[in-house]
Amino acid sequence: MILSSATFIHVGQIHVDRAPGAISTVLGSCVAVCLYDPRLRLGAMNHYLLPFWNGNGLQSPKFGNIAIPKLVEAMLEHGSSLRTMEAKIFGGASMHMMASQSMMIGEKNVLVAREILEEYNIQIVAEDTGGQNGRKIQMDLERGKVLLKYTSSATTKG
Amino acid sequence: MKQECVEEEIAFLSKKILELNKQLAESENAKSKFLSLVANELNNPITVILGMIRHLKIVESEENKRNFELICEEVLNLDFRIQNLMSAAEIESGAMSASHELVDIGELLEEVLETLRYLIAHKESQVVFTNRVGKKIVVDSKKIFIILRNLLCNAALYGNQNGKIEIETKLEEGFLVVRVRNEGEGPDIEYKPQIFTRFAKAPKAETGLGIGLSIVRELSLFFGGNIDYEVHKGAVVFTVKILLDETAEDSVACGSNEFFFDSFDDAIEV
Repeated sequence: MILSSATFIHVGQIHVDRAPGAISTVLGSCVAVCLYDPRLRLGAMNHYLLPFWNGNGLQSPKFGNIAIPKLVEAMLEHGSSLRTMEAKIFGGASMHMMASQSMMIGEKNVLVAREILEEYNIQIVAEDTGGQNGRKIQMDLERGKVLLKYTSSATTKG
Repeated sequence: MKQECVEEEIAFLSKKILELNKQLAESENAKSKFLSLVANELNNPITVILGMIRHLKIVESEENKRNFELICEEVLNLDFRIQNLMSAAEIESGAMSASHELVDIGELLEEVLETLRYLIAHKESQVVFTNRVGKKIVVDSKKIFIILRNLLCNAALYGNQNGKIEIETKLEEGFLVVRVRNEGEGPDIEYKPQIFTRFAKAPKAETGLGIGLSIVRELSLFFGGNIDYEVHKGAVVFTVKILLDETAEDSVACGSNEFFFDSFDDAIEV
């Protein structure tokens, strides 16, 4: 199913929308958290590059610990509640085989999502993370489903 | 091996929790500082305006003209600061979006200089603009305006009295490159990591929120570019690069066909 009207989000963006809209993005080691409220058919997606804000610069949603609370807030502002929200996590690939163990950006991005969602008591109903392939995802707000495709090769895309 | 990994991860996470707690305290602190700065920064120019308006008489005179100019200057200052605050808020909210307009960069720069005319006049800065772009380009004019305004405001503010400000714009390997050079002592290279941080500013600086360069950096990064500066021989050169997306007008292309959302055939549904 092709939804040409999908809103594409880049790193550091957060988008909230209602059915019949769709939100899409492309992920490498970046992670996108998708929140969906089936009752309102309301959904939101973020796309962050790094797990933690380093204390410098603006607190932009390029960082997981900034982007996830902001995503939850955005859903709440649109009338959703923590009880009815469900989460899906995508991305966090290891894009470079040689990257040292200490980097593990992808894994850390996924971990921070699980941690913060647990703090909010939001259930993670689906997850497709890690591996070595990038991902294209599109969240269909009509049905509350996420369409996922792997990109064929490792790219430098966030 | 697996056990080791888990332990490592636990250690990493506990360390992060501590760091986060510290950052939380700092962030709360920064937030209140931010609010009080906002209040002050918005309040001071307004106080001047309100003070001056009372002295305005309908009769045309040299004095009226001066008062009026002072009011205009403060209104422009206020506008500049509010615009910067709005930009910072936009970036932090994650609601930042780009628009794409066909823009003459020369005209945009003239507009910026117009908003800074009083500052430039006080500092008797000599502005030299070399535009090597030579055609209209597709950019987000409002955000480029904010970038230019911050760079030029800094150049005039921190530059020498009667100093020269050279601006050069050109296209290079798909980037719009803006170089702003001013005479004067720039921020030391050793402070580079701090200079693009919120609330950082030169010790001698008396005005401003110190968020200008952090906004310029975030905006340049948003457009796939960057910002850097060099200091040498009593002059500072700031260089901002903005990736020009020639195909941007309507598509969601991200530089490769891989990223076109042409089809979700054979997609996995989760």
